[in-house]
Amino acid sequence: MAGLVENISLIGDEIPWLKALRRKGEEAFLKSGVPGAKTEAWKYLKPKELATDDYVFSCGGCSQKVKQEIPFSCYRICFENGRFCPEGSFFPEEIEVLPLIEAILTKSSEIQFWLKQICDLNKFPFAALNQKYLNEGVYIHLPQGFVLDKPLVLDVHTSCEDKNLFSNLHNVVVLDKSSKAEVVEYYHYDGELKSHYFNNVVNQIFVGKGANLKHIKFQNEAFKASHIAFSHVLVDEKGLYDSFCLQRGADLARNESRVILRQQEAECVVNAAYKIDGWAKVDTTTDVEHLAVATKSHQLVKGVIGGQAKGIFQGKIHIAQDCVATEGNQLHKALLLSDEAEVDVKPELEIFADDVKCSHGAASGELDEEQLFYMRSRGIGYEEARQLLISAYFEEVFALLDNQDISNWLKSFL
Amino acid sequence: MTTPLLEIEDLHARVKEKEIINGFNLTINEGEVHAIMGPNGAGKSTLSNVLTGKPGYEITSGSVRYKGYDLLKLSPEERAHEGIFLCMQYPVEIPGVPTATFLKHAVNAVRKHNQQPELDTMEFLKMLKEEGKKLGIDSEMMKRPLNVGFSGGEKKRLETLQMCILKPRLSILDEADSGLDIDALKVVAEGVNSLRDKERSLLVITHYQRLLNYIVPDFVHVFADGHIVRSGDKKLALELEEKGYAGFVKEN
Repeated sequence: MAGLVENISLIGDEIPWLKALRRKGEEAFLKSGVPGAKTEAWKYLKPKELATDDYVFSCGGCSQKVKQEIPFSCYRICFENGRFCPEGSFFPEEIEVLPLIEAILTKSSEIQFWLKQICDLNKFPFAALNQKYLNEGVYIHLPQGFVLDKPLVLDVHTSCEDKNLFSNLHNVVVLDKSSKAEVVEYYHYDGELKSHYFNNVVNQIFVGKGANLKHIKFQNEAFKASHIAFSHVLVDEKGLYDSFCLQRGADLARNESRVILRQQEAECVVNAAYKIDGWAKVDTTTDVEHLAVATKSHQLVKGVIGGQAKGIFQGKIHIAQDCVATEGNQLHKALLLSDEAEVDVKPELEIFADDVKCSHGAASGELDEEQLFYMRSRGIGYEEARQLLISAYFEEVFALLDNQDISNWLKSFL
Repeated sequence: MTTPLLEIEDLHARVKEKEIINGFNLTINEGEVHAIMGPNGAGKSTLSNVLTGKPGYEITSGSVRYKGYDLLKLSPEERAHEGIFLCMQYPVEIPGVPTATFLKHAVNAVRKHNQQPELDTMEFLKMLKEEGKKLGIDSEMMKRPLNVGFSGGEKKRLETLQMCILKPRLSILDEADSGLDIDALKVVAEGVNSLRDKERSLLVITHYQRLLNYIVPDFVHVFADGHIVRSGDKKLALELEEKGYAGFVKEN
């Protein structure tokens, strides 16, 4: 039996700063444990079941047997069962791409600098747990002014049969001044459906001055799997962090983004969509911190919930004192396809400055009977009509993706 | 004697607790054009909704036979597959669904039912362009979300276009002229008339006689208080135009 907290031997424990970080992570997690209904930030998701599963920490390497077709031209960094897979990975020479542990060993001071900028993990139990196992993941560094010509896909594939693999990827993405990239995180699986494997991911993202990162994520884990991810994003002056996350899989999932607009005119887009069924619980949590003047944030999240599934949206916009000429918009909409489907929404605005434009809204509803009838009266079958209306519902948020190839690829999974 | 295309006998229908249609009888043979005229609130829209199977209506008694079969057992999509089409008074707007995408789904759903091969995108767009041209619909409109922001005239043209490409056996036109100026009305009527032949029938539901100058009916029925109170030929429409509905509506 192995629980979430085990003493497994990791490379690099002889490096004092790394050992200290790992220990700090463990301590922070042990203090809070797996959060339940009493922890405000987790009261809707209540991921208690994560505490009781029996996990394994490794499960085969990168056999390279399955290589998912991705229908657009891209660079690729592959992980198989939580391990970096050099065979399937290819990327341009101009950018630095290293497995995280290799970066720790060879570029100690640089990587230490980035890793230490993560926020206080006492409020982020799973990110703390991830830090306890700091080892796997990738370090990506774009030099000043470099423009990546194709999307870079982080292809995270699981095929652990019926074992409950627990893996903790930790990625560090650094965009130097005026560089530009599109990064796609893709989580998917093959094989036995029963596995309660658990992907616990942390991304630390740094968008330099005038840099532009498009960050697309597609969570399509196995239907009994768990997926918890925390992206900690720092955006500098005139930088743009433009993100979109589609959640389609997993039984228990949370995608949390904490975006800190820390210099003037920094901007972010934190859009998301989810389509869930069965008994899934899928959480989208955002926290956008406006810490400088003339910063902007935009959020549109759309969910479609069927069966007895539960959709969760917790969105916070914080505007610090004196951050004038700031703009923050947030909108969550959900479509409930059954009587037992549920949606929990908690928007929060904290505004400590004058001269700001801020809005938030939430709406939920059902499929429009008039629209359904109209389609059916033209010969389109009930299921097909429903599918068309569901796709139409998502169109509002997909229309905001400017890469048509990626947009079409994601839409094909709806 | 051939089976009538549509045979409605002593139909009673209600919405919630209110009986809207009571004792309605009508027989339409292949190739015939019938007009139903009536004052507001007579139950004209209820009739078209009942015939197309819109949820929310309860049939309390009577029967509707289409090509000899029990129409009321069929789902809305099955009725469409069998050739029933309702040209709606207020077609619904569907944001997020491009008009062309919707039309392709509709055309292929009907073709599939008729065991015809589905049209691919190229074939479909070619056909759409040709049919659209006849109704003065430019291809830009097809890229817009279905009916969203369309003017009254554009919506009616699009309804007519659907009728022309789906080629129904029985078309029901519910107030097809509302919101149309005279030029648009002529275009729509031309489209409708182009479908008239020995096999196809039309049921034109209208408040005003004007439309019947362009789509000339074989029979005219006056519909009031949930059933037909008088039937005649096209001259009846002119009489109604002159005298109004007052003489046909029950005094309360």
